[in-house]
Amino acid sequence: MIGTVTRRLVLGMSAAVALSLAADTQVQAQETFKIGAINPYSGPMALYGDEVTRGYELAAEALNAKGGILGRKVEIVRGNAASPQEGIAAVEQLAGRDNVDVFIGTYLSAVSAAASEAAMNYQKLYWDTNALAANLTERGLPNFARSGPYAVSFADQSVELVTGLLAEALGKEPKDLKVWIEHEESIYGTSIADRQKEQLEKAGVQVVGMGAHSAKAIDLTDSILRARDAQPDIWINTGYVPDGNLLLRTARDQGFKPGAMVLVGTGDTRETLEALGAESLEGILIVSYPRPDVTEQYGPGSQAYLEAYRAKYGQDPLAPQSMTAFVGLKIMAEAIEAAGSAEPEAVIEAAKKMDKPLNTYETGYGAKFDDHAQNVRTPPTVVQWQNGKVVTVFPVAAAGGNKLVAVGKQ
Amino acid sequence: MSTFLNILVVGLLLGGIYGLVSIGLNLIFGVIRIVNFAQGELVMLGMYGAYFSYWLVGMDPYVSILVVVPALFVFGVLIQRFILQPLQNESMMQIFATFGLLLLLQNVILAITRGTGYTVPTDLSTVVIDIAGLKISLVRLIALFAVTAVAVGMSWFLKNTLPGKAIRAVTQDRRAARLMGINVELTFMLTFGMGAALAGLAGTLLAPIYTMSPQIGGNFILAAFAVVVLGGLGSVWGAFIGGFIIGLIEALAGYYLDPALKHAVWFLVFIAVLIVRPGGLFGIAGAEEVGLREQH
Repeated sequence: MIGTVTRRLVLGMSAAVALSLAADTQVQAQETFKIGAINPYSGPMALYGDEVTRGYELAAEALNAKGGILGRKVEIVRGNAASPQEGIAAVEQLAGRDNVDVFIGTYLSAVSAAASEAAMNYQKLYWDTNALAANLTERGLPNFARSGPYAVSFADQSVELVTGLLAEALGKEPKDLKVWIEHEESIYGTSIADRQKEQLEKAGVQVVGMGAHSAKAIDLTDSILRARDAQPDIWINTGYVPDGNLLLRTARDQGFKPGAMVLVGTGDTRETLEALGAESLEGILIVSYPRPDVTEQYGPGSQAYLEAYRAKYGQDPLAPQSMTAFVGLKIMAEAIEAAGSAEPEAVIEAAKKMDKPLNTYETGYGAKFDDHAQNVRTPPTVVQWQNGKVVTVFPVAAAGGNKLVAVGKQ
Repeated sequence: MSTFLNILVVGLLLGGIYGLVSIGLNLIFGVIRIVNFAQGELVMLGMYGAYFSYWLVGMDPYVSILVVVPALFVFGVLIQRFILQPLQNESMMQIFATFGLLLLLQNVILAITRGTGYTVPTDLSTVVIDIAGLKISLVRLIALFAVTAVAVGMSWFLKNTLPGKAIRAVTQDRRAARLMGINVELTFMLTFGMGAALAGLAGTLLAPIYTMSPQIGGNFILAAFAVVVLGGLGSVWGAFIGGFIIGLIEALAGYYLDPALKHAVWFLVFIAVLIVRPGGLFGIAGAEEVGLREQH
């Protein structure tokens, strides 16, 4: 009898403990606001996936210091995806196993496209901070918003650079400027180049030629010689790091020195400095994500961001994408707070009501979302290689005291 | 006219690079009859070997040849002995094994470097020789000299030395070679080792020209296969001349037609040559079939 009672007691107590443990876990699960960060953490783009996620981690820390999102501590859960298929698998895993509240990403546009559709199956928000392909927002997916710049922003900023700062530095009217547009031949380079051509011609600039090349080509002398023959004042290239480096080397070897050389998207990292050397790079311009050296008036808090990054990771940012990711997560948190939930439609509705002027965030971005949930206040900045370092030179408000060097006919 | 000359020079220099990458591949392809998918990755290892030597002791890439080439030779011998030899009766599996090796090597380097692009610095990489307006990059010129020297050296080695003669005998008929007392397995190891060493040489010579990535081998290998088949399987001079043909076509088509079409143009020429001469320009007709015969 006593044995039976004891057994029941033990069973009952165990059940109670188990239940309370389960309840505890549930409370804990509800207490953290889980954000599934989809990025390449392996493969050739791993460096950039890591860099973007460092931005999220810093933003999560900043949010947690102020009480998190919807009163819950923010937790970043990584989902590794270097290809669209892996993107879908990462969403399945993060939604199914980790029960994340929302998704954020993505360094690779192709991954973003696939993963955001997979997230749709779970009725979860996919907030993009770093992918550039224009069609991501044009799809009109009801769970998708982009807080960062996109291909059009990069193309337009390069055009403004040409018609503004460079026209002035070269002492020419836009209509007298001759520009060669070079690009890698996939959709990334082609879409930006097409937009550049359209906008430059609208501004009256003469586009004297366009050249497409494979990013995997092992020789690009033909591309450089064709551009050299056209004698442009300005040469613009949109591509990746290896082909960009090869083009710059070939230009140097072939003595091609237009008034100004502009790269879009890449060319502002150690990889290019190592390949070309400080002397060869002097004066090369790059349209890129805003860097922490923008002025405090342009990007309020950018210095504090840099210090927080250094404190956490013990080095300077390896690539500029992390600050845009940091700001992206902040904007998402504001939209979720305004919506009062992480439900996709509500968050995107709240985002569309935001109206933050330019120069609100560390990157100089504002927040104004168009009908496709694309933030239209996200101008990239232009940096220039000066003595082996990259400094922000455009827009002038972001550049502070930095001046343009080594531009003009050599 | 000077532009045309410039393009010809560009094509010849490019041909040197293609030839350099192709000679090792052709040796393996022609003798052991293995389509070595990982040959590009051996070139990539050569490039990273040059970088590693620089990073470790500040070695110039041209000096690192003394370390990288022997290391790749040993690596090639080991691959042949421990991966390909156990599969010697299953030629399809050997091909899959080289494909597996490709993935393995790429991913190991990726895991170590995290995908960051590296370049090996050398003072020579900025030197450009200007001859009446023709701009010749010294590092590319060195590659051109190297491939010429390798072709001459290989040709001499295969004709005049005992191991060279053994390689030629094995190429012609493995069974007869074995009956003549030639150690076929040892010859295979030596050949694969040489093929890998030549890839290593190509890698170290190309390291100062390119920003390296774990996938860079793939950029060379498609052209290298075209060069090998165009020149003729197993022919050293075929790979040498084939490299120049592809290089010149690429440079001329890229400049005068459109850079986006240059690969399409050399593929067209490649297909046309194969229709007229299935054995390649310098190959023996039917050589491509040898690998399909029973040769134990």
